[in-house]
Amino acid sequence: MDRAEVLRRLEEWGARLAKSILELEEPAMEIPARTLSNTVWDERARMLRLGPERIRRRFLDVKEARKFMQTVLMLRLIAEAIREGVYPTIRDLYYNGKHTIIYRDPWGRTHSENTWEEQDESNAVIEDIEVAVNALREEMGVSADVKGKVVGPVVIRSQGYELDASKFGETALSLPVNVDALEIVKVEASYVLVVEKDAIFQRLVRERFWSQEGAVIITAKGMPDRATRRFVRRLSEEFKLPVYVLTDGDPYGWYIYSVYKSGSIKLSYESERLATPGAKFIGLTASDIDEYKISDNYVIAATERDVKRARELLRYPWFQRPEWAREINLFLKRRKKVEIEALSTHGLKFLHDYIRDKIRRGKFID
Amino acid sequence: MYHYEALPAAEWFRRNRELAGFHNPARALYQTVRELVENALDATETYGILPTVYVRIGVVDEQRGWVSVYAEDNGIGIPGGEIPNVLGRVFYSSKYRVRQHRGIFGLGLKMIVLYAQSTTNRPVYVRSATLKSDKIYEYAIMIDTNSNSPAVLHRQEYPNKYKWHGTAIKVCIEGNWHAAKRRIEEYLRRTAIVAPYAEIIFRGPDVSLRLGRRTTKMPPPPEEGLPHPKTVDADMLKQMVRENGSATLLELLAGNFDGVGRETARAFAAWAGLAPDARVSELSQDDLVRLAERMRQYEGWRRPRAVSLSPAGAELLELGARAILGAEAVFAVTRKPESYGGHPFIVEAAVAWGGQIPPAERPLLLRYANKIPLLYDEGVDVARKVADEFSWQNYRVRFPAPLAVIVHVCSTKIPYVSAGKEAIADIPEIEREIRLALRDAAKKLRAYLARREREAELVEKYVSLAKYVDEIAHSLAVVTGASRARLAESLHRLIERKIGMTAEELLRRA
Ligand SMILES: Nc1ncnc2c1ncn2[C@@H]1O[C@H](COP(=O)(O)OP(=O)(O)OP(=O)(O)O)[C@@H](O)[C@H]1O
Ligand SMILES: [Mg+2]
Repeated sequence: MDRAEVLRRLEEWGARLAKSILELEEPAMEIPARTLSNTVWDERARMLRLGPERIRRRFLDVKEARKFMQTVLMLRLIAEAIREGVYPTIRDLYYNGKHTIIYRDPWGRTHSENTWEEQDESNAVIEDIEVAVNALREEMGVSADVKGKVVGPVVIRSQGYELDASKFGETALSLPVNVDALEIVKVEASYVLVVEKDAIFQRLVRERFWSQEGAVIITAKGMPDRATRRFVRRLSEEFKLPVYVLTDGDPYGWYIYSVYKSGSIKLSYESERLATPGAKFIGLTASDIDEYKISDNYVIAATERDVKRARELLRYPWFQRPEWAREINLFLKRRKKVEIEALSTHGLKFLHDYIRDKIRRGKFID
Repeated sequence: MYHYEALPAAEWFRRNRELAGFHNPARALYQTVRELVENALDATETYGILPTVYVRIGVVDEQRGWVSVYAEDNGIGIPGGEIPNVLGRVFYSSKYRVRQHRGIFGLGLKMIVLYAQSTTNRPVYVRSATLKSDKIYEYAIMIDTNSNSPAVLHRQEYPNKYKWHGTAIKVCIEGNWHAAKRRIEEYLRRTAIVAPYAEIIFRGPDVSLRLGRRTTKMPPPPEEGLPHPKTVDADMLKQMVRENGSATLLELLAGNFDGVGRETARAFAAWAGLAPDARVSELSQDDLVRLAERMRQYEGWRRPRAVSLSPAGAELLELGARAILGAEAVFAVTRKPESYGGHPFIVEAAVAWGGQIPPAERPLLLRYANKIPLLYDEGVDVARKVADEFSWQNYRVRFPAPLAVIVHVCSTKIPYVSAGKEAIADIPEIEREIRLALRDAAKKLRAYLARREREAELVEKYVSLAKYVDEIAHSLAVVTGASRARLAESLHRLIERKIGMTAEELLRRA
C-alpha cells in the first residue's frame, strides 16, 4: 500500500468522525481491541492474532475523551507528515504533538493539561490508528528507533549498496527502519542465533563464535522492535534457517522469546509479518540451575514482580506446553532466577559449550 | 452569741454581683452593654417600633480603668415618675407579665447602677420621654442599698419640642475594654442575626460597628397572656383570691387562666371533687394549697397558647444569618408551640452552610433565648449537647465542615441555668424540640448538599469534555477540511445534550 492510499484511508476515517459531529451524532471510533482478551492464539499457525473484538472510543465518555482527543491529534500529525512528504519517527510525532491545552471554563477557572505525558501514550494511539484504518505504521512512513544489529555470513543490499555482515570486525551491521526494503542477497549460515542481551552479543562477536558456527547472530537489545523481528522472520521464511533464541532465565527473558516466536499482545495484528513460529528457546530455564550446576553465587532471588509476571505467563495460551508449565512452576516454587552471565560459573568459554550443547543435543523448548 | 440581721435585696446583689454576670471588669462591661441593649430592644420591637440603638463606650480614666457606657434608643420611654424606681429599686419591672421579653428579673439596670456605685461611685444619668410626651425627664440616680430605694441626685424637665421618644442612659464603671471588645462585637453581631429589622450603631475606643437594618418587616408583637393553671402555686392563688374576693371557684378559674373557660373549669372541679360555686374567699389556707396541687396535677387543661411568644420566624433567621455569617445557604425552621410545666415555648433552628463560615470539627453554635444571644457557658447549654449528639453524617455533613447552627428558644419563662442569663437548662421537652428543629433544618441542608453535589459532578463532567473541544476541532479540520468553528460549535452542543443542560443554565445553577 502506498502512502497516497494510506492518506486516503486516514482522511476517510476523519471525515466519518467530522460528519457525525456536524450532524450532532455522538462521535465514536471503532477500533479493534488490542487487549489480552482480544488476543487469539492460533494453534495451527502457532502465532497470536487480533481477535474480532472492537472498542468504541466515544468522545462523550469522560473516561475516553482524552484518548479520543489524542487519537484525533495523531491522525492529524500523520496526515500532515504524508502530505508534506516527510518521514517522522514515533518520537518525532510524540514531540510534535506534545503541548499544553489551556482551557478557561465558564466559571473562570483555568485548566491546563498536556496532550500527552509519556511517549507510551502517543505510541498507543499510533497503534490504534494502524488497526483502525488497517494500514501499517511502516506504510504510513512512520518509523521507530531500530535497535537491531546483525553479524554473520549474510549479504544484504540497501539503496544499491551491498553489505556483508561478516565484514564488520568487532562492530555490527545495523538494521534499517524498513526491513522489507532490503534485499537479502546471500546467506551461508546454518542457523540464526537471536541473543536477548547486547553484552552477550558483543562477546560472541569478539570471540568470533559466529564464524566457528556459521551462524547469523542478531540482537535487539531486550524487547525486540518490529524491524528486528521482521528480519528474523525473513531469514527463517526465505532461507529456511532454524532460529534459536538465547535469553536470561527469568519471566522477562521467556516472554521476549515468545514475542519473537508468536507475536505480542499489543501488536498481535502484526504477527502475520513478524512472528517466527519455528523459533526455539535455548535460554536458561529454571531446571538449568541444577542441570548446569550453576553456583549459588550467580543465583538471584526472584522479586514479587517476577512472580506476578510468571503467573501471567502460565495463563497465556501460547505458553500452554508441558515444558513451559514445568519450568514456570519450578520457578514459582523456588523463586530463583539466573542471567546468561551465570554460565561463567564454569569459565568464560562455557557459554559457547552451552549453546552448542543445547542446539546439538536438542535441549531446547519448541 | 449569734448576730442576726436582715440583708436588703440591693445589698445582697451588690455583694453577689457575679451571680448576675458582673464577675470582673471585662465581664461587667460586657454585661452592662447587654442589659442596656436588651432593654432598648424590649422598649421598641415589643411595641411595634423599628429599633434604632446607639451604644458608645469611651475611656474616662485609663489609669484606673474607668469607662463610660452610653446607650440610647427610640423606644416607648419610661414615664417620668417611674424613672427613679426602675433604676433604683431592685426587682422593679414592667416585664413580670406573661409575655415574651428579653428582660425577666427586674434586675438588669439596678445591677449596672450598683456596680457603678461600687467601682466609681458615680450615679447613673437617664434621659427619657414616653410616646407623645410634652416633656423630657432627666435624672441622676444612685441606690440606697440599705433601703433598696432610689436616691435622686438631680432631676430636670425639658420641653419635648420635636416629640422625641426613647431612653438614653449613661454610666461610668470600671471596665476592661480590651478584654471585652471581642465579645461585645460578637454579641452585637449575633443580636443583629435575630433582629435584622434593628439598626445598631456601636462606637468603642478603637472600633466602630454599624449593623444596618436589612428589613422593615417585624414579627408581630407578642400579646400579653394569662398564667397557665399548671404554673400556679399557693401564694399566687392567695393573691388572686385577694383581688377577686367575691368570685366563685368557677369564675376565678374561667377568668384568670390561660385557655380555661367555664367548660374546662367545670370539668376540672368535677375531677378535683370541688364545688364550682363555692366562694373563693371562703377557702381556707389548706384548701388553697390543695387547690394549687390539683391544678398542677390535672391533665385535662388545654395546652398553653403561644400568643404571648414572638419567635423571629424562619424568614428573618435566614436573612440575618446569611448577612451576618456570610453563609452560602441558610435553612431555618420554626417549630410549633410546645410547653413545659405550663410555660409555652417555641424552638427555632437554622443551619448555615459555607461562605465565610470557617470549616471546623464540630458545628459552630449560635444560641439564643428570647432573641438574646448567649455567649458564655456554652458547655452547660442544652443546645450544645443536642448539636453535638446530632447524627450529622446522616445529613451529608462530613467534618471538618463549614457549618453553623442557630438555636433560638423563646418562652414566657426561659429556664436559665443562672441569673447571668447565659445558658438554658436541660429540660426534656425543650431538648426534644431542639432535636426535632435541627432535624427539620438539617433535612433541608441535606437536600441542598445533594443538589450541589450533583451540580458539581455535572460541572466536572462538562469541563472534562469541553477542554478538548478546540484541540479536536482543530485536528479534524486539518484532516478533513471541515470548518473548525462549526466543529467546535457542534461538539459543544453534543456536550450540552449529554449533561442535559446548556452551559449558561449550568453556569446559573452552579
Ligand atoms: N430603654 C428602656 N426603655 C423603656 N423602659 C425601660 C428601658 N430600660 C428599662 N426600662 C424599664 O425598666 C424596667 C427595669 O429594667 P431592668 O433592666 O432593671 O429589668 P428588666 O429588664 O425588667 O429585667 P432584667 O433584670 O431581666 O433585665 C423594665 O422592666 C422596663 O420597664
Ligand atoms: Mg433589662
